Amino acid sequence: MIEVKNLSKAFGVQKVLDKISFSVNRGEIFVILGESGVGKSVLLKQLNGLIDPDEGSISIDGVEITSLSEPELLGLRKKIGYLFQEGALYDFMNVYENLSFPLREHTPLKRKEIVDKVKKVLSLVGLEGVESKFPSELSGGMKKRVGLARAIILDSQILFCDEPTSGLDPIRSRDISNLIQNASRKLSCTTVITSHDITNALRIADRIMIIKEGKIAGLGKPSEIKSSPNAFIREFIS
Amino acid sequence: MKKENLSYIQNLIIKLGDNVCFFGEVFFNILRGRVRVIEVLKQIYEQGLQSVGIVIMVSLASGAVLALQGHVVLSRFGAKEYIASMVALSLVRELSPVFTALIFSGKAGARITAELGSMSVNDQFLATRAMGVDPIEYLIVPRMLGCFLVLPILTVISEVAGIAGGYFIGVYEAKISSVFYLNQTLKSIRIVDFLSGFSKVFFFSVIIGWICAYQGYNTKGGSLGVGKYTTQAVAYSYMLVIIFNAILTKIILSIWG
Ligand SMILES: Nc1ncnc2c1ncn2[C@@H]1O[C@H](COP(=O)(O)OP(=O)(O)OP(=O)(O)O)[C@@H](O)[C@H]1O
Ligand SMILES: [Mg+2]
Repeated sequence: MIEVKNLSKAFGVQKVLDKISFSVNRGEIFVILGESGVGKSVLLKQLNGLIDPDEGSISIDGVEITSLSEPELLGLRKKIGYLFQEGALYDFMNVYENLSFPLREHTPLKRKEIVDKVKKVLSLVGLEGVESKFPSELSGGMKKRVGLARAIILDSQILFCDEPTSGLDPIRSRDISNLIQNASRKLSCTTVITSHDITNALRIADRIMIIKEGKIAGLGKPSEIKSSPNAFIREFIS
Repeated sequence: MKKENLSYIQNLIIKLGDNVCFFGEVFFNILRGRVRVIEVLKQIYEQGLQSVGIVIMVSLASGAVLALQGHVVLSRFGAKEYIASMVALSLVRELSPVFTALIFSGKAGARITAELGSMSVNDQFLATRAMGVDPIEYLIVPRMLGCFLVLPILTVISEVAGIAGGYFIGVYEAKISSVFYLNQTLKSIRIVDFLSGFSKVFFFSVIIGWICAYQGYNTKGGSLGVGKYTTQAVAYSYMLVIIFNAILTKIILSIWG
């Protein structure tokens, strides 16, 4: 489904990712863990072509995306939901306009259907009645949840979430993780999540990948990760 | 190669090339008809509304000052009747296009850069691309087109306001009859006078739109960066408007005299 081979990325002299290879299966929930600044966001952005890798290949559904042009990538990305770490909502639009934007751009839905759909996803993320608020009037956690609502509103077959639970309280984190899990299972959607949230990662992931110093330190099912003999992994998940 | 290792000149050439590519991309979108009319109308409304008041005030005052000075100077030669012509011709040929462009870059231009800059530092361009929409088409083209359309309109408004400012002084201070003043104004402005000023406006609008949108689109470095790029955009557009005005004036005068 998603196939990454020998991916490297550096910023100036700083090597962020060093020849990383892994693959994500169709319908799988794949969680990428790692310390802050290790390159999780940079990796996720490369997976849908927002950042070009220095070397290596990335293919999605058999299409090599590193050789696609930006217009071709735009077409591909319509089918990928993406939650940005900071939400990245349009601050000149209110919540309703933000959420209806992908629907207006990419679907033939009528106004009434859009209103209903927006209402539905907002209630999924536990934010009824904030349609007319602007992003500047929302808390960090609320922005993130609106961002998640925007990422899932097109029912995409692929979902990338950059730290969906950071900045949320433990209960909300659990709810949001469950929400992503449900959404993903319902649509058998291939989901890649980056996170610090080890508890929820171990709970909802099909497989977990841990990155350290640009390399993969561990990759496997939650049970395998939990019983890993590797000292770094043991410390990281404890 | 790393950017820091390049010489100043090399960096400048890279920047210029990047600027040209940016403009090319915008131009390509417009040529292909990828223009969102509603967004353009919104921009025309916002940019126009934001600058129209200050343009009118500045033009009224400038027209009045021209007439005051004209009254004193022309009276020395016993040519008081020519106040109207002097005011109108100065405004139409030179002052209104340049003043309006400078005011516009300080108001609407700064706003464009600050708006786009804060979008850039909050990943909103990345988010647009992530949603499969081209940020150039959706966010840049409407702002630049708005600029191209609003500045000429503001210039005409400025010309009218400036002539009105001169009219008050001419009629109430220099005691010229109102009918004579207006007649004189209309008689003295020939088409070439209007065009020799107005044709510059199109260059100015391109300069301002291009610089301010480019700076905003490429803003980096958080809220600090937004401030830095915005002041930069205004400074660059002031500089280029004034320099291009000199060059264009020379060219236009050699064509139309
Ligand atoms: N545009 C950029 N220019 C230069 N360096 C960058 C850029 N983007 C990211 N980096 C660097 O790449 C490294 C990885 O950043 P990234 O945002 O991927 O970290 P992360 O793992 O997502 O961290 P966090 O968990 O805190 O979000 C950081 O050291 C950062 O300084
Ligand atoms: Mg990150």
